[in-house]
Order: sequence, then C-alpha cells, then structure tokens
Amino acid sequence: MEQLVKDAGSGSRDTMDRIRRVFIDSLQLNLREEDFSYEAKLDEAAGLDSVAAIEFVTAIEKEFGITFEPEKLTIELMRDLKELTAYVDQRTTRRSASEGPA
Amino acid sequence: MGTPEASRAALPVSNTNSTPPVTLPLVTLNDLLWLLYLYPIRLLARVLPRWSLYAIGKLSDPIIEFDARRSKARAIPWIAQACRTTPAHARRIAGQSLSNTMLRTLDGLLLLRPSGDKMLRCTGLDGIQHLESAIARGKGVILLAGHLCANRIALRYLATKGHPALFVRNQWPENKAEGRFGRRFLQPRNAQLLVRANPDHVTIQDPDCSLRIMRRLRTGGLVALQIDAGGGTPIEQPFLGVPWRVRCGIFEIVRLTDCAVVPMLCLGSSSGFRIRFDPMLEIDGAPSRETFLSANLPRFLAVVERHIIENPEEWRLWNNW
Repeated sequence: MEQLVKDAGSGSRDTMDRIRRVFIDSLQLNLREEDFSYEAKLDEAAGLDSVAAIEFVTAIEKEFGITFEPEKLTIELMRDLKELTAYVDQRTTRRSASEGPA
Repeated sequence: MGTPEASRAALPVSNTNSTPPVTLPLVTLNDLLWLLYLYPIRLLARVLPRWSLYAIGKLSDPIIEFDARRSKARAIPWIAQACRTTPAHARRIAGQSLSNTMLRTLDGLLLLRPSGDKMLRCTGLDGIQHLESAIARGKGVILLAGHLCANRIALRYLATKGHPALFVRNQWPENKAEGRFGRRFLQPRNAQLLVRANPDHVTIQDPDCSLRIMRRLRTGGLVALQIDAGGGTPIEQPFLGVPWRVRCGIFEIVRLTDCAVVPMLCLGSSSGFRIRFDPMLEIDGAPSRETFLSANLPRFLAVVERHIIENPEEWRLWNNW
C-alpha cells in the first residue's frame, strides 16, 4: 500500500498516518484514524473551519519540524490528505537534505 | 443610518447564512436611506466636492436620527454608564456617533474615486515607532482597533505610506434596522463597494480567512482587526459594562503565530484625521487556548474599551449593538 501511495505521487503512508493523528489530536476530535480514508477530504470527515486550519498547520509543523511556505497556506492543501502528505514529505526531504548526513 | 459594516454578529464559517429571516419587514426607512446612498448619492459623489457631500450628510442628520431613534434610546443609558457621564451628555454622544458614522460612510464614497488617496489629509501620526518596533520582530503585526469611524480611511492612508494592512471584516454583518430588501440587495452591493474602496481585505466568512491572515503575518505584514470582527468560538466577557460574546478566532492566531499586537486609534474624517499607535501589547504566551485567552483577552478588550471611552462619539456601534 505504501508503495502504491508513493507511486501516485502522494507521499508515504507513514506520513499520512501521522497527519491523520495530528489532525485528530490538534483539533481534539472524537474520532479514530481509521475513520479517515486515504482519499478523504479532511473537512468532510470532520469540520475544518478557518481557525481550526491554523491549529492544524502549526501542529503539523511541530510534528514534522517543518515550516509551510506562505503561499502553501491554503485551505485546499490543508483539506486534501494526499496533497498534504506529498507536500509534507517534500518539505521533510528538503530539510533532511539541507541538514546533511549525521 | 444603521451600519451594515458593523460586525458585532460575526458568524463562524460553518454558520454563515445570508438568507433573510422571514421576520424582517420587506422594506424599512433604513433600506431607503441605503438605497439613496448606494445609487444617487454615490453617483453624485463622483463629481461633488467633499464639502457639499458632507453638507448633504448634515442635512440628512434629522432623518438618520429619526430612523435610529429606538436604538439611540437604548444606547443612552449604556453610554451614560460606560462613560460615566450624564444622560444629557450621553444623548449628545449617541447623536454625534450617528452623525460621524454617516459622514465616514460618505467618506467611503470618496475613497472610490481614482483620486481618493489624494483626498486623505492626515493631521497627525503618533507612535509610529511602536509600529516599526513591532514590525522589526519579523512575525507580523495585528493592528487592534475598536470599530471607530475613521479606521477605513486611516488604513487607506497607511497603505499609501508603505504600510498596507490586510483588513479583516464581516461580509454579512448585522444591521438591526434593515429589512429584507436591504439585506438581500443593498448589503451585498455595499459590500462590493467596500471591497473596491479597500481591496486588501479578507472576510471572516472566507474559508481561507485565518490562513490568509497567517500568510500575511508570516511575511512580516500587517493585519487590521476591529475587535468585533473576529470569527471563531465566542467567549462571554464584560465589555463597556455589558456582557459580550467575543469571537476569539483572531486571538487564536495571535497565540499560534506569536505575532505582535499593536493598538491603533484612528480619529477624524478624510478631511483631517489622526492615527495613533500605542506600545505593543505584552502577551502572555500559553500552550492552551483557554489559558491564553484567560490571560490575554481582558487585556485586548481593555485597550479597546479605553479608546472608546476616551472617544465615545467615534465608536460606531453604540446605536447598533
């Protein structure tokens, strides 16, 4: 499954799982990760209003140690689990590359 | 005239509903005044000099007073209590607030002119060092203000001086004096004009609202917020001596972005206005929303209350609360 997701250009399953968990925790939702399919639009699965979106953004940044580029701060990206996963993977990869080997 | 842009009843995104309630009358006097404003007066404002536009405004004062007589009667004891003044003085404040609201609404028409920026005459800009030191932190600045009459012209002026601010507003504010016609046709038209007068804005109904604010702050920019214009979850707090359900979304953004908050006071009219920036507010950082708000919200409200009590005739909402 992980490979399939990667092949679709949508990031890794591990990242998706972590994002789902962050979504639930940061918004204090009474849901389980399994309640979201990988195709889910997060705002359809559980309300993602304007203010909750930034709570979610900052929680993702903290979880993955990344910073969203300002132009990427859009509700379209935040609601699309696959797109978001791909973006987070891209940012974490870039961060790792810039940090170099340990 | 009521204030369609008065945004006390800011709605959370999920509850946005522009459908007119059936209990409203079809047309009210307030609707007719807005109809005059949005069409013949707006067209005249393209060519009339400012003084004659203000003269029209002054002439319409008695009609505005008549239209707002009930809300004014309710406001007088409140003003007397909040400003610790006599009922007679409170009555004058309520009347002056109505008049100022109407004149600044006419200023809005001047801002629609291509030469609108040149008509803005700033007579004083105090505390700019407070704004500059807040900008220097690099995390963006929220300009916190009460819903005062001169805010919009002041923001236009600041933009011309290299300090553009994203203006947060409510697209569907409550105007208790309007009818179904006003809500259905006139308020959307007025909203369009407000956007033309100040394109650098975001409405709290925009699903991207908070993220757009965050974007502006992260690039070190300014966001202008009238304290009654926030979306998000309400918390009841005392404000000007009455309980008020403050929408706290914007303060969540302050917590999460660590931006600076600078109180801004704008007074006057397009023919002569002053802007004052107060020192950046000290903010107690807190990990949770609840502790952050309990530590800081009274501070945010207190500074706006002080601005209003010092300049009660400039506050637009006494008569539309």
